[in-house]
Amino acid sequence: MDLIQYSFNVEKDDFDRAGEASSNIKKILRQLGIDGAIIRRIAIATYEAEINIVIHSLGGKIDLEVDPKSIKVIAEDRGPGIANIELAMQEGYSTASDKVREMGFGAGMGLPNMKKCSDKFEVESVFGKGTTIKMVMYI
Amino acid sequence: MKAGDSVDNKYFHSVVLQEDRCIGCTSCLKVCPTEAIRLRDGKARIIGEKCIDCGECIRICPNHAKNAVTDKLSILQNFKYKIAIPSLVLYGQFASKVGINTMLTALKNIGFDEVYEATIGTEIITKVIKEKILKEDKIERPLINSSCPAILRLIQIRFPDLLPNVVDIETPVEITARIAKRDAARRTGLDISEIGVVFISPCTARVTSIRNPLGIEKSYIDAAISMKEIYGDIVRNLNSSEEENISTSTREAMEWSIIGGQSKAIGVEKYIAVDGINEVIKVLEEIETGRLEDLEFFEGMSCVGGCIGGPLTIENPYIAKAKMRGIAQELPCMETCEEQLEQYLRMYEEGFIKLTEPIEPRAIMKLDKDISVSMKKMEMIEEILKYLPGLDCGVCGAPTCRAFAEDIVKGENQKSICIVKTMENFKKKKI
Repeated sequence: MDLIQYSFNVEKDDFDRAGEASSNIKKILRQLGIDGAIIRRIAIATYEAEINIVIHSLGGKIDLEVDPKSIKVIAEDRGPGIANIELAMQEGYSTASDKVREMGFGAGMGLPNMKKCSDKFEVESVFGKGTTIKMVMYI
Repeated sequence: MKAGDSVDNKYFHSVVLQEDRCIGCTSCLKVCPTEAIRLRDGKARIIGEKCIDCGECIRICPNHAKNAVTDKLSILQNFKYKIAIPSLVLYGQFASKVGINTMLTALKNIGFDEVYEATIGTEIITKVIKEKILKEDKIERPLINSSCPAILRLIQIRFPDLLPNVVDIETPVEITARIAKRDAARRTGLDISEIGVVFISPCTARVTSIRNPLGIEKSYIDAAISMKEIYGDIVRNLNSSEEENISTSTREAMEWSIIGGQSKAIGVEKYIAVDGINEVIKVLEEIETGRLEDLEFFEGMSCVGGCIGGPLTIENPYIAKAKMRGIAQELPCMETCEEQLEQYLRMYEEGFIKLTEPIEPRAIMKLDKDISVSMKKMEMIEEILKYLPGLDCGVCGAPTCRAFAEDIVKGENQKSICIVKTMENFKKKKI
């Protein structure tokens, strides 16, 4: 089966490079000839996932998988995990520190936005260990 | 591209290579924002399909091998009535003591019947955006200025999803050309075809857009002469005859061609004004991924400083800016009465100054039409990349190792090799 895989490391607190993975993914999808509207959704969702890893975790990676029918983005991190996923899915709910919020992040829209952008959305989290977010967009 | 290169004829470009001057140094490869240049047989080649005429390569070339094809003064012979429209940037190119009317009279004496300032076009576009486009929600937010042709072409290639955000109004120069031509036809009784409008251009992309317009069927501008080229003629003519009272400039018009001037003139609060094509790309990336919420207006200019930094200008953009600011302070502010405003809005609604043709996305980044084939090609690119050093040295003729791999996969590079890898292998063999 046709499948393309990429993996991008995302470092904790590396605000400077945050956005690099989503930017690279956008370029790859553009070259593959994916529809612009889908690319835009994926770029938004990936950026949210990326920034979440930077802010909340100890580091992680973003994997991209493309087959002729769908695009998968899997964001996996090591870190505190999400204590209450239901709460985290609510718009405006955030555990980000005041300092992070002052920088304009942590508005509590990350997970809801990711869900909005995906056709399929799954969060798995083990408290104290880490979080994995799987997003699927159909082409 | 060599002038007259048959392969690329459908893409006319103002930016060209003077082959005898090119020493194959790779400087231009690196600065091209669309990776449109390759070295082949030791000479730079511009890929017509990818070039957006931003002029970055003209600026960087240490051997002055990159140049712009613009019209020559002899083109004036084609017309019975000749109108010059100088870019307002012209006013920043002379010593501070030279007045606008002195410059314009000198320009007219080169052989024009009339000099028409782009002030009117600036006023119209300002008013239409402010009083109509901004008040309606027909165009996606943030609105993106249509005035920089290099940025428009960049958006077509790299940010096609942002095309619905581009304001659908012509540029000040095109608007001015339309009005100047119409007025001259009425006044002289000549046919439109007998009247020639010549733009004195600081901009290579504008020269291209006059021949190959974006958003309109045909430009009313008949020719473009490089500001650099005509500069000497203007200087020689300064104070050679009695000064005519030509200028109708306003402060807003003067500031329009300086970055931030458009946003200021239309009085929009939530705006971002970005100059320099690489910075523009970065901010457009942010807009594309929805990171700049609430933004109303994006003003993007390919050249540093705005049009004052155009590749066909003479003066340093910062010095030109200071001079123009000085001149602007002496000028009256724009004043538009109700009647004029109605007239401007009518011109827009009737399509006289509106972008009537769609600006289509150009998916030239795509590896193949078929996604499965694209995927295979992508895999091959990644495979080749594993064997390349990743230095992006440019010696192979491609700007980056990735571009080198892409060219091979696309079948666009049969000849060149990676010198670094070859040398490494050679060393290994010796040991």
